[in-house]
Amino acid sequence: MYDLINHLWLGMSVAATPTYVMLCLVGALVGTLIGVLPGIGSLATIAMLLPITFGLPPVGALIMLAGIYYGAQYGGSTTSILVNIPGESSSVVTCLDGHEMAKNGRAGPALAIAAIGSFFAGCVATVLVAALGAPLTSVALMFGPAEYFSLMVLGLIFAVVLARGSVIKALAIVLMGLLLSMIGSDLETGAERMTWGIPEMSDGIGFVVVGMGVFGFGEILRNLENKGTREIVQGKITGLMPTLPDLKAAAGAIGRGTLLGSCLGILPGGGTIIASFAAYTLETRVSKHPERFGRGTIEGVAAPESANNAASQTAFIPLLTLGIPPNPVMALMVGAMTIHGIVPGPQVMTKQPELFWGMIASMWIGNLMLIIINLPLVGVWVRLLRVPYRHLFPMIVVFCCIGIYSVNNAPFDVSMTAIFGVVGYWMSKHDFEPAPMILGYVLGPLMEENLRRAMLIARGDATVFVTRPISAVLLAIAALLLILAVLPSIRGKRDEVFVGDD
Amino acid sequence: MSDATPSGEWSRSAEEQRRYNLLSGLVFTTLGVILLVSSFMLQSPAPLAVRAAIIVFVAVCIAISFGLLPVLNPQDVFGSLGLILLGLTAFIASNELPGMRGFAFGPGTAPRLFATAMIVLALIVLVGGFLTPGPEVTKYQVRGMVFVIGAILAFAASIRPLGLVVATFASVIICAAAADDVKARETVLVAIGITIFCALLFPYGLNLPFQLWPRFW
Repeated sequence: MYDLINHLWLGMSVAATPTYVMLCLVGALVGTLIGVLPGIGSLATIAMLLPITFGLPPVGALIMLAGIYYGAQYGGSTTSILVNIPGESSSVVTCLDGHEMAKNGRAGPALAIAAIGSFFAGCVATVLVAALGAPLTSVALMFGPAEYFSLMVLGLIFAVVLARGSVIKALAIVLMGLLLSMIGSDLETGAERMTWGIPEMSDGIGFVVVGMGVFGFGEILRNLENKGTREIVQGKITGLMPTLPDLKAAAGAIGRGTLLGSCLGILPGGGTIIASFAAYTLETRVSKHPERFGRGTIEGVAAPESANNAASQTAFIPLLTLGIPPNPVMALMVGAMTIHGIVPGPQVMTKQPELFWGMIASMWIGNLMLIIINLPLVGVWVRLLRVPYRHLFPMIVVFCCIGIYSVNNAPFDVSMTAIFGVVGYWMSKHDFEPAPMILGYVLGPLMEENLRRAMLIARGDATVFVTRPISAVLLAIAALLLILAVLPSIRGKRDEVFVGDD
Repeated sequence: MSDATPSGEWSRSAEEQRRYNLLSGLVFTTLGVILLVSSFMLQSPAPLAVRAAIIVFVAVCIAISFGLLPVLNPQDVFGSLGLILLGLTAFIASNELPGMRGFAFGPGTAPRLFATAMIVLALIVLVGGFLTPGPEVTKYQVRGMVFVIGAILAFAASIRPLGLVVATFASVIICAAAADDVKARETVLVAIGITIFCALLFPYGLNLPFQLWPRFW
């Protein structure tokens, strides 16, 4: 306990310096600004804004990125409430009740409760990250290659189980991600793999390129299909603050959402989406008036928003302790860290304590910033949302291009992104979920490396994965999850969870 | 992700679906034939199994094109064909890479491992698509694709030789043409606005090394 306070204090003393607070503020502001634009999720937002952190020192850059991350998350919720178009997949459920509240003239309280819920969840999750960071790091030190491999298998299986639609298709798409990640030089022998002799590909295809193509450009192509059916809340938004009964009604929902979100976020495999869905479903079950959900009840906004924020924050735990990105956004953070010469993993905490704890403290500051900037700026976001999509998407496309180009100053990367945009569009046409593919792409090289190492250490004996206890347990959980997901009775429940997504 | 629920106008008649099968089937057939030809041009010959698999793939594609196989679930059938094609391509591309050496993985082991697993899963999806009915593939927004992709490629081609100002302006104009409700004058104004914004923000505001104007300037 004393350690915890000590560490948080160290973090605060780093993060609370005026420069870093400013960076966090700017990050949260631009993150929200871009995140508010419909059809731009947090992944595309971070990828687009990555270049603005290049010139900063590592700690500053990470703090700003964390700010952008929360801003993007919150911006997505704002869009859901005001326009009924989810800014990203994790705020799909917020649409249900949030937009109804907005239509009833209660957009202000809906936005406010989303911010307050997120802030509360952020506070709890920050303490959780700080508390779990140290013990999990010591667990990580016991991990050998076999354990790492099994853990990543578990993460991918989670992503498959949590994806919508067919489990087999999701598994196939994970393998597509793994396969694509093999492009580039082999780590051990340096052999060029599947590069077709193109020199630009010998480093592999950058993660930003794949992510931005599939999520960013793919999403824009999809959006161009639905013709101008955006119903933006008209009229001035008045009465921002929720009333006392509102707060009372939302308090329980926020608590439950935070708890659920924190647990689900730690799991590798994209916890934020499922966290918001699960929290919403939980609320409809425990509520005394389940019939009010979907008609603009404040619990229906508070629960998924808290859950989603808690999950997006606890998602840092596997990244900072094990060095494994649990979702595509975290994978992008890995990319950003490597640009600044930081290799995420257990050693960050021991070797660079200021960076580790500074980042954790800045998460809390970032959440505070969101409350401060968002409530007064709601009017600005509304005006931004009134800009017709035909003006927005060229801007988004060009910003994405500039963002990708500036990562490596390589025009080739930009062209590759165009190709992956088409791939993403094609995938959506055939009902393949992009998220598992991206996760597979991110984990591919790590998985291969650990698989090779484990096999080498075991002298070619593949049973090493089931004879080492930790690894065996992880694989058993993965197998169990997969079996459960395929069983018809659970399948029905699983589809039910996603039912609100139409 | 596929939140856009297809409305009535998207659904195809049986005649249109046949034409779609023919067209998509022929596209995949062509790609399969190209792959087959390239498998003969490798330095070391591709294993017989890989070649046989490609031939079977082409045969299945031809059968689909001419309605010899029931495409009950077009999404799954054509989706899995795409994945299988990718897997086979990976086999050809990693053909020259050495595999296992004793119990040590070679550079080619993992790619072929993942490709095999993906093909097996895709085959399950493919067979399922022949047996159980499912949703059709909604129409592609060709106009959007052409202009958005065109804009990105234009940016990639022009950023080095022509600089940020020209590249930004040109790609905004091209990209804007992707929308059905594009208006010329508005678009030019928006493009000018975005260009000025980018030209100030990236090189000056963020100190990124961007070249603003064409080289000969």
